[in-house]
Amino acid sequence: MIVRTPYAQMLGIRSITTDNGGTMLMMPAAPELEGRSDFLYGGAIASLLELACLEAVAQDRGEPWPKPINMAFDFLRGGLMIDSYAQARLVRVGRRVVNADAVCWQTDREKPIAMGRMHLLLD
Amino acid sequence: MNEDDAFERLKSLPPRGHHAFLGIYTVDKGPDWAELACPFASGFLMDADAGLVSSGPIISLVDAATGAAVIARTRQWRAMATLDLHINYLRPATAGRALHARARCHHVTRKVAFTCCDVHDGDPESPIATATASFFFTDES
Repeated sequence: MIVRTPYAQMLGIRSITTDNGGTMLMMPAAPELEGRSDFLYGGAIASLLELACLEAVAQDRGEPWPKPINMAFDFLRGGLMIDSYAQARLVRVGRRVVNADAVCWQTDREKPIAMGRMHLLLD
Repeated sequence: MNEDDAFERLKSLPPRGHHAFLGIYTVDKGPDWAELACPFASGFLMDADAGLVSSGPIISLVDAATGAAVIARTRQWRAMATLDLHINYLRPATAGRALHARARCHHVTRKVAFTCCDVHDGDPESPIATATASFFFTDES
């Protein structure tokens, strides 16, 4: 779903169905995603987290994108130049506002490289 | 131009990595601030039909501008990592317009720098987002 959007395609992001039927996103390492030497650019990691939240809302509601209100990112480790994964969870779906969080990891899901929390407005 | 100055050095570096990919360039700078911009690209769209601009390029531009503001203030070439970033989306960006982020580094401690940033798409009086970010100096100092 989200991977068909031009921006996700620009970053090379793919969608993967997990064992329990959920969806996670994968962003393959590429030279154009590099920030400081040998590390992924923080903005690219943040974009992956945000797209994971939007994907989770889209899967839940199956309608046009909700509007992003705000998002907070914590960067926990430097992102290596290897593939990155992100999966989001809808913490609360209200009538007008959705609260979602997402985690991004590389080789070990138990060692996330970044986390994000997001509010989205439903129309 | 003073080649020893960290900020001038930053500006004169050839574009690479994600900065080059998004076309990020420096617009202006001051003693504790920097304004960076990137031209609109059709790949920035979240929804090609509705012309909705994704917030991803906005976050990336904020990350670049706030980092540049730290260098503008410290005038030092120190290794640093983004600790956290919080962004409020005030209104959707307009497709076709260049994005501008003007960031200010308002406080620096021995290990941490604090910044804030306003983003607009042509009219500074009509911002599209505001953000704060903090950076951690990873070198020993």
